[in-house]
Amino acid sequence: MPDQRPPGIFKWSRRWAPGLIPLVIIWALAGWNGTVPFEAGLAAQGRNAIKDTVLDGASVMVEGRDIRLSANAFSEEGRLSALAAVEAIPGVRLVNDATGLLPEAKPFIWTADRDVVRVTLGGTAPLPAARARLMEAARNDLPGVEIADRMTFARGALPRFEAAAVLLIDQLPRLKEAKISISDGNVKLNGMASEIGGREAITAALRNLPEGFSVAENIVQAPPYIFRINKDPVVATLTLSGYVPDNNVHAAIVAAIGRKFSGEKIVDNLKASVGAPAGFANAVMTALGSLSRLSTGSLLISDREVRLSGDALYEAAANQLRESAGGSLPQNWTYKADVSVRPAASAVDSTICQQLFSELLGKERIRFESGKTDISPDSVGLLDRLIATTLRCPSTSIEIAGHTDTDGEGAANLALSQKRAEAVLNYLIRAGLSSERLTAVGYGSEQPLASNDTSEGKAQNRRIDFVVK
Amino acid sequence: MSILASFHWGWLLGAAVLGLIIGWVSIARRSDGLSLRTMRWSLAAISALVAIAVARLLPGRLGYWLDLGLLLGLCYVIGCVAGAWLRERVVARAVAKASASGS
Repeated sequence: MPDQRPPGIFKWSRRWAPGLIPLVIIWALAGWNGTVPFEAGLAAQGRNAIKDTVLDGASVMVEGRDIRLSANAFSEEGRLSALAAVEAIPGVRLVNDATGLLPEAKPFIWTADRDVVRVTLGGTAPLPAARARLMEAARNDLPGVEIADRMTFARGALPRFEAAAVLLIDQLPRLKEAKISISDGNVKLNGMASEIGGREAITAALRNLPEGFSVAENIVQAPPYIFRINKDPVVATLTLSGYVPDNNVHAAIVAAIGRKFSGEKIVDNLKASVGAPAGFANAVMTALGSLSRLSTGSLLISDREVRLSGDALYEAAANQLRESAGGSLPQNWTYKADVSVRPAASAVDSTICQQLFSELLGKERIRFESGKTDISPDSVGLLDRLIATTLRCPSTSIEIAGHTDTDGEGAANLALSQKRAEAVLNYLIRAGLSSERLTAVGYGSEQPLASNDTSEGKAQNRRIDFVVK
Repeated sequence: MSILASFHWGWLLGAAVLGLIIGWVSIARRSDGLSLRTMRWSLAAISALVAIAVARLLPGRLGYWLDLGLLLGLCYVIGCVAGAWLRERVVARAVAKASASGS
Protein backbone atom coordinates (compact mmCIF):
# COMPACT_ATOMS: atom_id res chain seq x y z
CA MET A 1 0.00 0.00 0.00
CA PRO A 2 1.49 3.43 -1.03
CA ASP A 3 2.24 6.11 1.49
CA GLN A 4 -0.92 8.35 1.64
CA ARG A 5 0.69 11.19 3.61
CA PRO A 6 1.30 14.40 1.70
CA PRO A 7 4.97 14.90 1.02
CA GLY A 8 4.86 18.38 2.61
CA ILE A 9 5.65 21.83 1.46
CA PHE A 10 9.20 21.66 2.68
CA LYS A 11 9.96 18.57 0.65
CA TRP A 12 8.41 20.05 -2.48
CA SER A 13 10.18 23.36 -2.01
CA ARG A 14 13.53 21.63 -2.27
CA ARG A 15 12.66 21.10 -5.94
CA TRP A 16 11.67 24.78 -6.67
CA ALA A 17 15.21 26.06 -7.17
CA PRO A 18 15.20 25.63 -11.01
CA GLY A 19 12.65 28.43 -11.25
CA LEU A 20 15.02 30.90 -9.62
CA ILE A 21 16.93 31.60 -12.83
CA PRO A 22 13.85 32.71 -14.82
CA LEU A 23 12.67 34.55 -11.67
CA VAL A 24 15.91 36.54 -11.59
CA ILE A 25 15.42 37.32 -15.28
CA ILE A 26 11.90 38.57 -14.51
CA TRP A 27 13.32 40.62 -11.66
CA ALA A 28 15.94 42.18 -13.91
CA LEU A 29 13.39 42.96 -16.60
CA ALA A 30 10.99 44.48 -14.09
CA GLY A 31 13.76 46.62 -12.65
CA TRP A 32 15.01 47.62 -16.09
CA ASN A 33 11.61 48.68 -17.38
CA GLY A 34 9.91 49.96 -14.30
CA THR A 35 12.43 51.93 -12.28
CA VAL A 36 12.48 55.19 -14.19
CA PRO A 37 8.70 55.43 -14.74
CA PHE A 38 8.10 54.49 -11.11
CA GLU A 39 10.48 57.24 -9.96
CA ALA A 40 8.91 59.75 -12.32
CA GLY A 41 5.48 58.96 -10.94
CA LEU A 42 6.64 59.45 -7.37
CA ALA A 43 8.40 62.69 -8.25
CA ALA A 44 5.22 64.06 -9.81
CA GLN A 45 3.26 63.14 -6.72
CA GLY A 46 5.95 64.73 -4.55
CA ARG A 47 5.80 68.02 -6.45
CA ASN A 48 2.04 67.95 -6.29
CA ALA A 49 2.11 67.34 -2.54
CA ILE A 50 4.17 70.47 -1.82
CA LYS A 51 2.66 72.79 -4.35
CA ASP A 52 0.48 74.52 -1.78
CA THR A 53 3.29 74.94 0.70
CA VAL A 54 5.24 78.21 0.45
CA LEU A 55 8.83 77.17 -0.20
CA ASP A 56 11.81 78.70 -1.93
CA GLY A 57 13.88 76.64 -4.34
CA ALA A 58 11.95 73.43 -3.72
CA SER A 59 13.14 70.33 -5.57
CA VAL A 60 11.99 66.72 -5.36
CA MET A 61 14.55 64.04 -6.28
CA VAL A 62 13.50 60.39 -6.34
CA GLU A 63 15.78 57.36 -6.19
CA GLY A 64 13.81 54.15 -6.13
CA ARG A 65 11.16 54.72 -3.51
CA ASP A 66 13.18 57.31 -1.60
CA ILE A 67 12.44 61.01 -1.96
CA ARG A 68 14.93 63.74 -1.30
CA LEU A 69 13.18 67.04 -0.58
CA SER A 70 15.33 70.17 -0.88
CA ALA A 71 13.78 73.52 -0.06
CA ASN A 72 14.09 76.65 1.98
CA ALA A 73 11.01 77.19 4.06
CA PHE A 74 9.73 80.55 5.24
CA SER A 75 8.80 79.13 8.64
CA GLU A 76 9.45 75.98 10.71
CA GLU A 77 5.77 75.17 10.48
CA GLY A 78 5.89 75.33 6.69
CA ARG A 79 8.99 73.15 6.59
CA LEU A 80 7.44 70.40 8.73
CA SER A 81 4.22 70.57 6.77
CA ALA A 82 6.08 70.05 3.48
CA LEU A 83 7.96 67.06 4.91
CA ALA A 84 4.73 65.53 6.24
CA ALA A 85 3.04 65.98 2.88
CA VAL A 86 5.83 64.14 1.08
CA GLU A 87 5.97 61.36 3.67
CA ALA A 88 2.23 60.80 3.23
CA ILE A 89 2.61 59.94 -0.46
CA PRO A 90 1.73 56.21 -0.94
CA GLY A 91 4.74 54.16 -1.99
CA VAL A 92 7.35 56.42 -0.47
CA ARG A 93 9.85 54.43 1.59
CA LEU A 94 12.16 57.11 2.99
CA VAL A 95 12.17 60.90 2.90
CA ASN A 96 15.62 62.45 2.93
CA ASP A 97 15.23 65.81 4.55
CA ALA A 98 17.36 68.43 2.85
CA THR A 99 15.08 71.27 3.87
CA GLY A 100 16.00 74.28 5.90
CA LEU A 101 14.74 77.64 6.92
CA LEU A 102 15.52 80.68 4.80
CA PRO A 103 18.33 82.74 6.26
CA GLU A 104 17.19 85.67 8.33
CA ALA A 105 18.36 88.95 6.85
CA LYS A 106 19.70 91.39 9.42
CA PRO A 107 19.17 94.13 8.46
CA PHE A 108 16.36 93.28 6.09
CA ILE A 109 17.17 95.35 2.99
CA TRP A 110 14.95 95.96 -0.01
CA THR A 111 15.77 98.29 -2.88
CA ALA A 112 14.13 99.89 -5.89
CA ASP A 113 16.29 101.63 -8.49
CA ARG A 114 14.98 103.62 -11.38
CA ASP A 115 16.91 104.94 -14.35
CA VAL A 116 15.72 106.21 -17.69
CA VAL A 117 14.64 102.89 -19.15
CA ARG A 118 14.00 100.49 -16.31
CA VAL A 119 13.08 99.89 -12.73
CA THR A 120 14.97 97.22 -10.80
CA LEU A 121 13.53 95.79 -7.63
CA GLY A 122 16.26 94.16 -5.55
CA GLY A 123 17.23 93.12 -2.08
CA THR A 124 15.09 90.71 -0.16
CA ALA A 125 11.39 90.00 -0.05
CA PRO A 126 9.71 88.11 2.78
CA LEU A 127 7.41 85.82 0.76
CA PRO A 128 6.77 84.88 -2.87
CA ALA A 129 3.30 86.42 -2.65
CA ALA A 130 4.75 89.70 -1.39
CA ARG A 131 7.36 89.64 -4.13
CA ALA A 132 4.67 89.09 -6.77
CA ARG A 133 2.57 91.92 -5.36
CA LEU A 134 5.52 94.31 -5.41
CA MET A 135 6.21 93.43 -9.05
CA GLU A 136 2.54 93.88 -9.88
CA ALA A 137 2.46 97.27 -8.14
CA ALA A 138 5.49 98.39 -10.16
CA ARG A 139 3.96 97.21 -13.42
CA ASN A 140 0.69 98.98 -12.66
CA ASP A 141 2.39 102.21 -11.65
CA LEU A 142 4.81 102.28 -14.56
CA PRO A 143 3.16 100.92 -17.68
CA GLY A 144 5.62 100.65 -20.54
CA VAL A 145 8.67 100.69 -18.27
CA GLU A 146 10.79 97.56 -18.02
CA ILE A 147 10.59 96.11 -14.50
CA ALA A 148 13.49 93.85 -13.50
CA ASP A 149 13.10 91.49 -10.56
CA ARG A 150 16.37 90.92 -8.69
CA MET A 151 14.74 90.17 -5.35
CA THR A 152 15.69 87.16 -3.27
CA PHE A 153 13.95 85.77 -0.24
CA ALA A 154 14.84 86.07 3.39
CA ARG A 155 13.12 86.07 6.72
CA GLY A 156 13.19 88.98 9.10
CA ALA A 157 10.98 91.64 7.48
CA LEU A 158 9.09 94.02 9.73
CA PRO A 159 5.36 93.27 9.97
CA ARG A 160 4.13 95.90 7.48
CA PHE A 161 7.05 95.72 5.10
CA GLU A 162 4.91 95.10 2.05
CA ALA A 163 2.73 98.18 2.61
CA ALA A 164 5.84 100.32 3.03
CA ALA A 165 7.44 98.92 -0.13
CA VAL A 166 4.26 99.41 -2.18
CA LEU A 167 4.03 103.01 -0.96
CA LEU A 168 7.60 103.60 -2.13
CA ILE A 169 6.95 101.91 -5.47
CA ASP A 170 4.00 104.26 -5.88
CA GLN A 171 6.46 107.18 -5.74
CA LEU A 172 8.53 105.89 -8.67
CA PRO A 173 6.36 107.55 -11.36
CA ARG A 174 7.20 110.90 -9.77
CA LEU A 175 10.92 110.23 -10.10
CA LYS A 176 13.08 110.36 -13.20
CA GLU A 177 15.99 108.67 -11.44
CA ALA A 178 15.80 107.05 -8.05
CA LYS A 179 17.56 104.88 -5.53
CA ILE A 180 15.15 103.79 -2.84
CA SER A 181 15.92 101.43 0.00
CA ILE A 182 14.30 100.02 3.09
CA SER A 183 16.71 98.78 5.72
CA ASP A 184 14.62 97.28 8.51
CA GLY A 185 12.48 100.32 9.36
CA ASN A 186 14.68 102.99 7.76
CA VAL A 187 13.58 104.38 4.42
CA LYS A 188 16.06 106.19 2.18
CA LEU A 189 15.28 108.02 -1.01
CA ASN A 190 17.71 109.57 -3.47
CA GLY A 191 16.80 110.76 -6.89
CA MET A 192 15.52 113.38 -9.24
CA ALA A 193 11.86 114.30 -9.43
CA SER A 194 10.47 114.20 -12.92
CA GLU A 195 8.35 117.31 -12.49
CA ILE A 196 8.08 120.47 -10.41
CA GLY A 197 6.13 119.56 -7.31
CA GLY A 198 7.12 115.88 -7.44
CA ARG A 199 9.52 116.24 -4.53
CA GLU A 200 6.85 117.80 -2.31
CA ALA A 201 4.30 115.17 -3.32
CA ILE A 202 6.76 112.41 -2.38
CA THR A 203 7.53 114.04 0.96
CA ALA A 204 3.80 114.24 1.66
CA ALA A 205 3.26 110.61 0.68
CA LEU A 206 6.07 109.44 2.96
CA ARG A 207 4.10 110.72 5.95
CA ASN A 208 1.79 107.75 5.34
CA LEU A 209 4.50 105.13 5.86
CA PRO A 210 3.18 102.33 8.05
CA GLU A 211 4.02 102.11 11.71
CA GLY A 212 7.57 101.00 12.34
CA PHE A 213 8.97 102.70 9.23
CA SER A 214 10.51 106.15 9.14
CA VAL A 215 12.36 108.30 6.63
CA ALA A 216 16.07 108.18 7.37
CA GLU A 217 17.06 110.10 4.25
CA ASN A 218 15.05 111.96 1.63
CA ILE A 219 17.34 113.56 -0.93
CA VAL A 220 15.16 114.07 -3.94
CA GLN A 221 16.33 116.74 -6.33
CA ALA A 222 13.70 118.72 -8.14
CA PRO A 223 14.04 120.19 -11.60
CA PRO A 224 14.70 123.95 -11.39
CA TYR A 225 11.69 126.07 -10.52
CA ILE A 226 11.52 128.35 -13.53
CA PHE A 227 9.83 131.72 -13.86
CA ARG A 228 10.42 133.77 -17.00
CA ILE A 229 9.29 137.06 -18.45
CA ASN A 230 10.24 138.26 -21.92
CA LYS A 231 9.76 141.90 -22.71
CA ASP A 232 9.34 142.66 -26.37
CA PRO A 233 8.99 146.41 -27.04
CA VAL A 234 8.26 145.95 -30.74
CA VAL A 235 4.87 144.36 -30.07
CA ALA A 236 4.66 145.90 -26.55
CA THR A 237 4.18 142.47 -25.03
CA LEU A 238 5.26 140.82 -21.81
CA THR A 239 5.26 137.03 -22.08
CA LEU A 240 5.08 135.21 -18.75
CA SER A 241 5.95 131.53 -18.53
CA GLY A 242 7.00 128.94 -15.94
CA TYR A 243 5.57 128.40 -12.49
CA VAL A 244 4.12 130.32 -9.58
CA PRO A 245 3.34 128.80 -6.17
CA ASP A 246 -0.37 129.62 -6.11
CA ASN A 247 -3.10 131.85 -7.48
CA ASN A 248 -2.53 134.58 -4.89
CA VAL A 249 1.08 135.03 -5.91
CA HIS A 250 0.01 134.82 -9.53
CA ALA A 251 -2.49 137.62 -9.04
CA ALA A 252 0.03 139.70 -7.08
CA ILE A 253 2.58 139.37 -9.90
CA VAL A 254 0.07 140.35 -12.56
CA ALA A 255 -1.01 143.33 -10.45
CA ALA A 256 2.63 144.40 -9.95
CA ILE A 257 3.24 144.17 -13.68
CA GLY A 258 0.23 146.45 -14.20
CA ARG A 259 1.80 149.03 -11.90
CA LYS A 260 5.38 148.75 -13.12
CA PHE A 261 4.85 148.44 -16.87
CA SER A 262 2.75 150.89 -18.81
CA GLY A 263 0.40 149.56 -21.39
CA GLU A 264 2.26 146.36 -22.32
CA LYS A 265 0.07 143.47 -23.36
CA ILE A 266 0.50 140.44 -21.06
CA VAL A 267 0.65 136.91 -22.46
CA ASP A 268 0.24 134.83 -19.33
CA ASN A 269 1.39 131.21 -19.59
CA LEU A 270 2.15 130.77 -15.89
CA LYS A 271 1.18 127.53 -14.17
CA ALA A 272 0.63 127.06 -10.47
CA SER A 273 2.85 124.46 -8.82
CA VAL A 274 4.33 123.72 -5.46
CA GLY A 275 8.10 123.58 -5.11
CA ALA A 276 8.89 127.31 -5.26
CA PRO A 277 12.01 128.31 -3.34
CA ALA A 278 11.48 130.34 -0.18
CA GLY A 279 11.08 134.05 -0.86
CA PHE A 280 9.99 133.48 -4.45
CA ALA A 281 7.28 136.15 -4.47
CA ASN A 282 9.54 138.82 -2.96
CA ALA A 283 12.31 138.00 -5.40
CA VAL A 284 9.94 138.27 -8.36
CA MET A 285 8.63 141.64 -7.14
CA THR A 286 12.17 142.98 -6.80
CA ALA A 287 13.27 141.60 -10.15
CA LEU A 288 10.17 142.98 -11.90
CA GLY A 289 11.34 146.50 -11.01
CA SER A 290 14.67 145.82 -12.71
CA LEU A 291 12.99 144.34 -15.76
CA SER A 292 10.77 147.43 -16.02
CA ARG A 293 13.92 149.52 -16.48
CA LEU A 294 14.95 147.62 -19.62
CA SER A 295 13.78 148.65 -23.05
CA THR A 296 14.00 145.06 -24.20
CA GLY A 297 15.08 141.98 -22.28
CA SER A 298 14.14 139.04 -20.19
CA LEU A 299 13.94 137.99 -16.60
CA LEU A 300 14.68 134.39 -15.73
CA ILE A 301 14.30 133.02 -12.22
CA SER A 302 15.68 129.52 -11.89
CA ASP A 303 15.38 128.19 -8.36
CA ARG A 304 17.18 130.84 -6.27
CA GLU A 305 18.94 132.55 -9.14
CA VAL A 306 17.69 135.72 -10.78
CA ARG A 307 19.04 136.44 -14.26
CA LEU A 308 18.34 139.69 -15.97
CA SER A 309 19.42 140.34 -19.53
CA GLY A 310 18.63 143.02 -22.04
CA ASP A 311 19.17 146.68 -22.88
CA ALA A 312 19.01 149.49 -20.35
CA LEU A 313 17.93 152.91 -21.51
CA TYR A 314 21.14 154.74 -20.54
CA GLU A 315 24.56 153.98 -19.13
CA ALA A 316 23.91 154.86 -15.47
CA ALA A 317 20.84 152.61 -15.43
CA ALA A 318 22.86 149.77 -16.94
CA ASN A 319 25.50 150.16 -14.25
CA GLN A 320 22.88 150.14 -11.50
CA LEU A 321 21.24 147.05 -12.95
CA ARG A 322 24.58 145.25 -13.23
CA GLU A 323 25.33 145.95 -9.59
CA SER A 324 22.07 144.97 -7.97
CA ALA A 325 18.60 143.71 -8.61
CA GLY A 326 17.17 147.06 -7.57
CA GLY A 327 16.27 145.95 -4.08
CA SER A 328 17.17 143.31 -1.60
CA LEU A 329 16.67 139.73 -2.71
CA PRO A 330 15.76 137.11 -0.09
CA GLN A 331 18.58 135.33 1.70
CA ASN A 332 20.62 132.82 -0.34
CA TRP A 333 19.35 134.20 -3.63
CA THR A 334 21.83 135.20 -6.32
CA TYR A 335 21.56 137.83 -9.01
CA LYS A 336 23.23 137.84 -12.42
CA ALA A 337 22.80 140.63 -14.90
CA ASP A 338 23.84 140.73 -18.52
CA VAL A 339 22.81 144.26 -19.33
CA SER A 340 23.95 146.45 -22.20
CA VAL A 341 22.85 149.95 -23.15
CA ARG A 342 20.40 150.62 -25.89
CA PRO A 343 21.95 152.82 -28.64
CA ALA A 344 21.19 156.44 -27.86
CA ALA A 345 18.25 157.84 -29.78
CA SER A 346 18.71 160.96 -31.85
CA ALA A 347 18.28 164.38 -30.25
CA VAL A 348 14.97 166.14 -30.74
CA ASP A 349 13.82 169.73 -30.52
CA SER A 350 11.85 171.14 -27.63
CA THR A 351 8.44 170.65 -29.23
CA ILE A 352 8.93 166.96 -29.80
CA CYS A 353 10.59 166.69 -26.43
CA GLN A 354 7.44 168.06 -24.73
CA GLN A 355 5.35 165.70 -26.82
CA LEU A 356 7.41 162.73 -25.69
CA PHE A 357 7.11 163.73 -22.02
CA SER A 358 3.36 164.18 -22.37
CA GLU A 359 2.98 160.78 -23.99
CA LEU A 360 4.94 159.07 -21.25
CA LEU A 361 3.15 160.83 -18.42
CA GLY A 362 -0.20 160.49 -20.13
CA LYS A 363 0.00 156.70 -19.95
CA GLU A 364 1.11 156.50 -16.32
CA ARG A 365 2.08 158.70 -13.44
CA ILE A 366 5.06 158.87 -11.15
CA ARG A 367 3.83 157.26 -7.97
CA PHE A 368 4.76 158.19 -4.43
CA GLU A 369 4.26 156.48 -1.14
CA SER A 370 0.90 157.61 0.22
CA GLY A 371 1.16 161.14 1.77
CA LYS A 372 4.95 161.05 1.46
CA THR A 373 7.61 162.35 -0.85
CA ASP A 374 9.30 158.98 -1.43
CA ILE A 375 9.04 157.80 -5.03
CA SER A 376 7.36 154.42 -5.29
CA PRO A 377 9.61 151.60 -6.56
CA ASP A 378 6.87 150.92 -9.12
CA SER A 379 7.87 154.11 -10.97
CA VAL A 380 11.55 153.34 -11.63
CA GLY A 381 10.78 152.15 -15.17
CA LEU A 382 8.86 155.33 -15.99
CA LEU A 383 11.60 157.49 -14.49
CA ASP A 384 14.18 155.72 -16.65
CA ARG A 385 12.13 156.46 -19.74
CA LEU A 386 11.76 160.11 -18.65
CA ILE A 387 15.52 160.30 -18.12
CA ALA A 388 16.17 158.75 -21.53
CA THR A 389 13.84 161.32 -23.08
CA THR A 390 15.55 164.13 -21.19
CA LEU A 391 18.84 162.93 -22.63
CA ARG A 392 17.36 163.36 -26.11
CA CYS A 393 16.61 166.98 -25.31
CA PRO A 394 20.09 168.38 -24.59
CA SER A 395 19.32 171.99 -25.31
CA THR A 396 16.09 172.43 -23.37
CA SER A 397 15.34 173.50 -19.86
CA ILE A 398 12.81 171.36 -18.11
CA GLU A 399 10.54 172.21 -15.25
CA ILE A 400 9.49 169.33 -13.04
CA ALA A 401 6.09 170.49 -11.84
CA GLY A 402 4.41 168.96 -8.80
CA HIS A 403 0.62 169.09 -8.39
CA THR A 404 -1.84 167.91 -5.78
CA ASP A 405 -5.58 167.62 -5.42
CA THR A 406 -7.53 169.95 -3.12
CA ASP A 407 -7.66 167.59 -0.15
CA GLY A 408 -5.89 169.08 2.85
CA GLU A 409 -4.62 172.55 3.46
CA GLY A 410 -3.36 174.60 0.57
CA ALA A 411 0.00 175.35 2.18
CA ALA A 412 0.59 171.71 2.96
CA ASN A 413 -0.33 170.70 -0.57
CA LEU A 414 2.03 173.29 -1.93
CA ALA A 415 4.86 172.01 0.24
CA LEU A 416 4.10 168.38 -0.67
CA SER A 417 4.00 169.12 -4.38
CA GLN A 418 7.27 171.03 -4.11
CA LYS A 419 8.97 168.21 -2.20
CA ARG A 420 7.72 165.55 -4.60
CA ALA A 421 8.95 167.60 -7.56
CA GLU A 422 12.32 167.92 -5.82
CA ALA A 423 12.41 164.19 -5.15
CA VAL A 424 12.03 163.55 -8.86
CA LEU A 425 14.64 166.19 -9.62
CA ASN A 426 17.10 164.57 -7.21
CA TYR A 427 16.44 161.18 -8.79
CA LEU A 428 17.28 162.63 -12.22
CA ILE A 429 20.44 164.28 -10.92
CA ARG A 430 21.54 161.01 -9.30
CA ALA A 431 21.02 159.39 -12.69
CA GLY A 432 23.64 161.74 -14.10
CA LEU A 433 21.57 164.57 -15.54
CA SER A 434 22.82 168.12 -15.20
CA SER A 435 20.99 170.13 -12.55
CA GLU A 436 21.50 173.34 -14.52
CA ARG A 437 18.62 172.83 -16.91
CA LEU A 438 16.25 171.17 -14.45
CA THR A 439 14.02 172.98 -11.99
CA ALA A 440 11.51 171.66 -9.51
CA VAL A 441 8.37 173.68 -8.82
CA GLY A 442 5.44 172.80 -6.59
CA TYR A 443 2.04 174.19 -7.59
CA GLY A 444 -0.11 172.61 -4.93
CA SER A 445 -3.68 172.33 -6.13
CA GLU A 446 -3.60 175.50 -8.26
CA GLN A 447 -3.50 173.80 -11.67
CA PRO A 448 -6.01 171.00 -11.64
CA LEU A 449 -6.46 168.89 -14.78
CA ALA A 450 -9.87 167.65 -13.73
CA SER A 451 -12.55 168.36 -11.21
CA ASN A 452 -11.62 167.75 -7.61
CA ASP A 453 -15.17 166.67 -6.86
CA THR A 454 -14.56 163.05 -7.77
CA SER A 455 -11.91 160.63 -6.67
CA GLU A 456 -11.00 159.95 -10.32
CA GLY A 457 -10.53 163.66 -10.89
CA LYS A 458 -8.42 163.99 -7.76
CA ALA A 459 -6.25 161.10 -8.89
CA GLN A 460 -5.66 162.87 -12.20
CA ASN A 461 -4.74 166.08 -10.41
CA ARG A 462 -2.10 164.41 -8.19
CA ARG A 463 0.75 164.36 -10.66
CA ILE A 464 4.24 165.33 -11.72
CA ASP A 465 4.52 167.05 -15.11
CA PHE A 466 7.65 167.60 -17.19
CA VAL A 467 7.31 170.97 -18.84
CA VAL A 468 9.78 172.05 -21.49
CA LYS A 469 10.65 175.71 -21.05
CA MET B 1 4.04 47.84 -0.93
CA SER B 2 0.57 47.98 -2.45
CA ILE B 3 1.75 50.77 -4.79
CA LEU B 4 4.72 48.61 -5.78
CA ALA B 5 2.40 45.66 -6.40
CA SER B 6 -0.10 47.65 -8.42
CA PHE B 7 2.67 49.25 -10.49
CA HIS B 8 4.43 45.91 -11.25
CA TRP B 9 1.39 43.65 -11.26
CA GLY B 10 2.29 42.19 -14.66
CA TRP B 11 5.75 41.08 -13.57
CA LEU B 12 4.38 39.75 -10.28
CA LEU B 13 1.77 37.78 -12.15
CA GLY B 14 4.55 36.39 -14.34
CA ALA B 15 6.50 35.32 -11.26
CA ALA B 16 3.38 33.64 -9.82
CA VAL B 17 2.71 31.78 -13.08
CA LEU B 18 6.34 30.69 -13.16
CA GLY B 19 5.95 29.45 -9.59
CA LEU B 20 2.75 27.63 -10.52
CA ILE B 21 4.56 25.75 -13.29
CA ILE B 22 7.60 24.96 -11.19
CA GLY B 23 5.37 23.87 -8.29
CA TRP B 24 3.32 21.68 -10.65
CA VAL B 25 6.29 19.89 -12.07
CA SER B 26 8.08 19.62 -8.72
CA ILE B 27 5.65 16.91 -7.60
CA ALA B 28 6.51 14.58 -10.44
CA ARG B 29 10.29 15.05 -10.29
CA ARG B 30 12.31 12.18 -9.05
CA SER B 31 15.24 14.15 -7.62
CA ASP B 32 15.32 15.22 -4.02
CA GLY B 33 16.28 18.80 -5.00
CA LEU B 34 18.41 20.91 -2.76
CA SER B 35 20.05 19.44 0.29
CA LEU B 36 18.75 20.29 3.72
CA ARG B 37 21.90 22.19 4.43
CA THR B 38 21.47 24.35 1.31
CA MET B 39 17.82 24.89 2.15
CA ARG B 40 18.70 26.09 5.60
CA TRP B 41 21.29 28.51 4.25
CA SER B 42 18.84 29.70 1.64
CA LEU B 43 16.16 30.35 4.24
CA ALA B 44 18.69 32.19 6.36
CA ALA B 45 19.74 34.33 3.41
CA ILE B 46 16.13 35.12 2.50
CA SER B 47 15.39 36.00 6.14
CA ALA B 48 18.41 38.29 6.17
CA LEU B 49 17.25 40.02 2.98
CA VAL B 50 13.75 40.45 4.40
CA ALA B 51 15.25 41.92 7.55
CA ILE B 52 17.34 44.33 5.48
CA ALA B 53 14.26 45.36 3.51
CA VAL B 54 12.10 45.83 6.61
CA ALA B 55 14.84 47.82 8.30
CA ARG B 56 15.24 49.91 5.13
CA LEU B 57 18.99 49.52 5.28
CA LEU B 58 19.67 49.70 1.58
CA PRO B 59 19.33 53.21 0.19
CA GLY B 60 17.77 54.43 -3.04
CA ARG B 61 17.43 52.17 -6.02
CA LEU B 62 19.12 49.20 -4.31
CA GLY B 63 16.47 49.23 -1.62
CA TYR B 64 13.77 49.54 -4.23
CA TRP B 65 15.17 46.63 -6.25
CA LEU B 66 15.44 44.52 -3.09
CA ASP B 67 11.78 45.21 -2.29
CA LEU B 68 10.85 44.35 -5.85
CA GLY B 69 12.90 41.12 -5.76
CA LEU B 70 11.36 40.00 -2.48
CA LEU B 71 7.88 40.73 -3.78
CA LEU B 72 8.60 38.75 -6.94
CA GLY B 73 10.02 35.92 -4.79
CA LEU B 74 6.90 35.93 -2.61
CA CYS B 75 4.68 35.67 -5.69
CA TYR B 76 6.90 32.86 -7.02
CA VAL B 77 6.67 30.94 -3.75
CA ILE B 78 2.88 31.40 -3.59
CA GLY B 79 2.73 30.13 -7.20
CA CYS B 80 4.92 27.15 -6.33
CA VAL B 81 2.77 26.26 -3.33
CA ALA B 82 -0.41 26.55 -5.35
CA GLY B 83 1.05 24.52 -8.24
CA ALA B 84 2.38 21.78 -5.99
CA TRP B 85 -0.81 21.59 -4.02
CA LEU B 86 -2.96 21.33 -7.17
CA ARG B 87 -0.70 18.66 -8.69
CA GLU B 88 -0.68 16.76 -5.45
CA ARG B 89 -4.48 16.81 -5.43
CA VAL B 90 -4.59 15.53 -9.03
CA VAL B 91 -2.07 12.76 -8.30
CA ALA B 92 -3.88 11.70 -5.10
CA ARG B 93 -7.20 11.52 -6.95
CA ALA B 94 -5.62 9.41 -9.72
CA VAL B 95 -4.11 7.05 -7.17
CA ALA B 96 -7.44 6.75 -5.33
CA LYS B 97 -9.25 6.00 -8.61
CA ALA B 98 -6.65 3.37 -9.60
CA SER B 99 -6.84 1.62 -6.25
CA ALA B 100 -10.67 1.67 -6.38
CA SER B 101 -10.75 0.10 -9.85
CA GLY B 102 -8.05 -2.42 -8.92
CA SER B 103 -9.92 -3.71 -5.85
